[in-house]
Amino acid sequence: MAECKDCKFASPEEAVQAMVRRTDAIIDRIGTRRDQIIPLLQALQAEFNYLPSDALNRLYERTEIDRAQLISVSSFYSQFRMVPYGKHIIKVCIGTACHVKGANNVYDAFKRELKMGEDTITTADQQYSIEKVACLGCCALAPVVQIDNKIFGHVQPGRVNEVLAEFEEYVSQQQQAQAEEEHEQPQGEVRLGMENCCQASGTAEVREAVIKACKELGIQVRIKPISCVGACNQVPLIDVAMPDGAITRYPNIKPQEVKEILLHHFKPASRLRRLKNAVFNQIDTFHTDLTWENILWKPEAERTQSINTFLDGQHRISTEGYGHMNPLDIDEYIKLGGFQALQKALTGMKRDEVIQEVLASGLRGRGGGGFPTGRKWQLVAANDSDKKYVICNGDEGDPGAFMDRILLESYPLRVIEGLAIAAYAVGANEGIFYIRAEYPQAVIRIRKALAMCMEKGYLGDHVMGTDFCLNIRVFEGAGAFVCGEETALIGSIEGKRGFPHLRPPYPAQAGLFGKPTLINNVETLSQISYVISRGAEEYRKVGTEHSRGTKVFALAGKVNHGGLIEVPMGTTLRQIVEKIGGGVEGGEKLKAVQTGGPSGGCIPAELCDAQVDFDALNQMGAIMGSGGLVVLSESNCMVDVARYFLNFTCDESCGKCTFCRVGIRRMLDILNKLCTGKATMKDVDLLEELANSIKKSALCGLGKTAPNPVLSTLRYFRQEYEEHVQGICRTGSCKDMVKLQVTEDCVGCTKCARCCPSEAIPFAPYQKHEINVETCTLCGLCMDECDYNAIVKVPVKENK
Amino acid sequence: MKIIVNDKELEVSGQETLIEELNKLGYDIPSLCYAKDARHQASCMVCMVKNVANGQMIPSCSTYPTEGMHIETDSEEVLALRQMSLELLLSDHRADCEAPCSLVCPAKLDPAQIMLYYDKGQKAEARSLITKVIGENEVPCSTCKAPCEKICRRGTVDEHVSIREIVTALAADTSLAQVPAHSKAVLDKNVFTSKLGRFTSVEKEWLKEEYHDASRCLHCACEGREKCKLRAYSTKAGIKSTRYGVSSALPVKEQIKVVGKLCYEPAKCVRCGLCVYNSEDGFTFQHRGFVMQVVIPEESKSHMQESLARLCPTGALYLEDE
Repeated sequence: MAECKDCKFASPEEAVQAMVRRTDAIIDRIGTRRDQIIPLLQALQAEFNYLPSDALNRLYERTEIDRAQLISVSSFYSQFRMVPYGKHIIKVCIGTACHVKGANNVYDAFKRELKMGEDTITTADQQYSIEKVACLGCCALAPVVQIDNKIFGHVQPGRVNEVLAEFEEYVSQQQQAQAEEEHEQPQGEVRLGMENCCQASGTAEVREAVIKACKELGIQVRIKPISCVGACNQVPLIDVAMPDGAITRYPNIKPQEVKEILLHHFKPASRLRRLKNAVFNQIDTFHTDLTWENILWKPEAERTQSINTFLDGQHRISTEGYGHMNPLDIDEYIKLGGFQALQKALTGMKRDEVIQEVLASGLRGRGGGGFPTGRKWQLVAANDSDKKYVICNGDEGDPGAFMDRILLESYPLRVIEGLAIAAYAVGANEGIFYIRAEYPQAVIRIRKALAMCMEKGYLGDHVMGTDFCLNIRVFEGAGAFVCGEETALIGSIEGKRGFPHLRPPYPAQAGLFGKPTLINNVETLSQISYVISRGAEEYRKVGTEHSRGTKVFALAGKVNHGGLIEVPMGTTLRQIVEKIGGGVEGGEKLKAVQTGGPSGGCIPAELCDAQVDFDALNQMGAIMGSGGLVVLSESNCMVDVARYFLNFTCDESCGKCTFCRVGIRRMLDILNKLCTGKATMKDVDLLEELANSIKKSALCGLGKTAPNPVLSTLRYFRQEYEEHVQGICRTGSCKDMVKLQVTEDCVGCTKCARCCPSEAIPFAPYQKHEINVETCTLCGLCMDECDYNAIVKVPVKENK
Repeated sequence: MKIIVNDKELEVSGQETLIEELNKLGYDIPSLCYAKDARHQASCMVCMVKNVANGQMIPSCSTYPTEGMHIETDSEEVLALRQMSLELLLSDHRADCEAPCSLVCPAKLDPAQIMLYYDKGQKAEARSLITKVIGENEVPCSTCKAPCEKICRRGTVDEHVSIREIVTALAADTSLAQVPAHSKAVLDKNVFTSKLGRFTSVEKEWLKEEYHDASRCLHCACEGREKCKLRAYSTKAGIKSTRYGVSSALPVKEQIKVVGKLCYEPAKCVRCGLCVYNSEDGFTFQHRGFVMQVVIPEESKSHMQESLARLCPTGALYLEDE
């Protein structure tokens, strides 16, 4: 039966009628064609929180969509649901970085805390629903949880109650009135990164603190949201910019420190206020220990040192303007040279000259395969057609990757400019941004940026006064990793399941709606304006012989300073991990670097001195992929990592071809056996045979590369597979093969007993504690809590 | 246009896909997801051939030849990969080709077919199947150790079907006329025979509810086994059993009456999609990946065509009583 939270109906019929009316409004707004099914379902779900059957029945009546199509499409994309969820949705990120930092324990902890049964995902009072999501793209803050629109970073399983409390406080605060904005001459500027990562670590609170402090002190400052600095490990981070151009950077600040910082830079409005604040400040200093570690007392070098080494060694093309450019200030973008490349192309170059320039630059597609971008443009340009499309592929689905999200959120105008140049070069006049549903912020920013460009004449009819016309729209993906594959992406825009098609025909010949279509990755497009404005020669100076330019990587996992980085091709993995990333977290030894997400492989530490480019990575059995770099330490189990990725691809397989649908599942079966100590050496051989066969025979690129995590770990870490056959997992990651044990070092402090969420440790003051293996969930909280290191993981097998 | 097939240069039109060209030239390329003159999309990968130029395995059902193309259709590598795709499909195929009881009967009777007639009330046909094998002699059931009952799948649910009792009673009923009856069981040991595997406890409960014919027989034998390409190719490839543990999300023994004589058993479906691509607002895919299934919405059943059964490469879609 239809329900509506805002109103009560006299009868169920009335409720249905109301639902039909709301559904009709959506249909009127979006359309009735078959290819509009995904936007229609997205709008219905936004309206009703799920897809109610009465609304769907109305869809059958009023649109071209039939039942077969609806079942096919709505069940393919993970975004759509047929049952109502709770009021708030908890999304636990299980991306690679979060996985290696224990995301599954966080998920279990939430379910325990909210008293959800094994098979339920919604609380009895319909307040919360929980789900695992592929990757929220905040890998530097792993493990990450998103509740509604609020992101929480570094969530510990033992602290989920605090997260929930914080969220509830946030909700009640949101309901209160917002601070007024004053419009007087600003004394300076406070710049805050407002990306997902920054928000996850509390930038929103810092922003509120800035607003509050300004009001209290009577200071007029402009608060400016800026693009991602990339130093995601050092957030919240604010820059204070003075009218004379001096900028002071404060990383890792707390809301309590904001006032202090502002007072340091700006004069409060009146003497009285100054006095009052001085007094309060003194009191604060005495009464909170937070100010003992006063951020202003630290010397500049100490304050920003780790950031500077993080930012050294990077080279900015895609992320030019990082940290000082407002993503949505088109005038600022123009002032910094924006749209010069587009103007140069439109007014000074023929279509073919643009293509030749890109070809000469040696730019290769950043989406994974590394196909020469200029060549791709040539193929599309060579096809004569009344209609052509250019699509920006922003369906970044790799767990552990967030480059495209940041580029779209922070540099939307640069990506749009790149797309416009591409469209001009290949002769297309319709562009589409395909952005995955998990990136709502990117969708908002691109929409706003597109509107600005239309207004300023950089898009639309007669772009910059020329004959070139270009209209761009946004298509939101609905949650399917496979749609990153070109042909599947096209299917999805056409309102079908995201089934890849056999190529040929290539999209360049027959793509979207059968027309020639160019599909480029976000990062590829973000490099175009540089290539055109500075010229191919200049671009070729960066990078290696066969991989020119820079590459944006999302550095995450067991590394001290994760974040978004842009380095010249040819930088070694060790430089990235040691210099930019500041080494392995916790002083552990580097074991491997996982590149390319589920299609990539694990490169062992001894090969990390190799220069990173497309070909070197391929030779090592990994791929560049879209650019996720997940650092793995000695405490990560490589079999578990392989299983993690296969689990991901098994869930995300479209199901079309036999090798991917069944083959990957059979590989996963074997890996599950390995991780529970039930496999034999024969299984390992079969696993390898399967992996090699799938690599040869799967239908699409994603299927063919899905066995890479297994093949690369078999190649470099075969010994670990053999140990698992013998029932040993050295790292203790495979839960069925280890148990927790209390050693003789236990002093009976009861700390473990008190923190255990599953009550597996009986409370025994001054006695050696015992762990009940049956109820223990191996969350490891007790190990972290114990001050005497008296809890250890031991293999189950030896003790049998 | 000239192409090279296994080192032999051949002339082709270039207008049709490789599988069609090769079939015309007398090559026997197996395929499940392809049917002549029907809409299809490459998915089963049983028809693959090797493109020697780049070493890629390509589905011949959806690839057009190009001038000078060099392909391999029968190398060890190609045959091994085809075999693997069959094995993978079989590992997610929860069905018996033959009923276990019929496979083990020492007297060479076909209890499965006898039970089928019996449950339909066609006792004369049922009896004729017995007399065809043993004549009017006494059935040897009373002295038999009854492997049929020991292996009976119903026995794993609750209690086995009383095969001997039913057969003996039928044989003794001389009032029943002799009529032509057909036994479909193939008891050739060289023919591949798929095995259903074990039921889960949930499935057992469901089966108890669902199967309550006169004999209580689960009718394990597949009705589509004579036309089944999956079985024929598996036999040809010399497959005895799949090397993978059978785990499956398919609803075992579920039988859906679609329209007229057209029946659908999801557990036997290989997800080739032929019925999906060749029916309007009818059969459709649901979910994705390993748990993807072909379903038919209730409202669409009435406008399906019986002729769809012809397209199905397995016994998942079939016409009852054929």
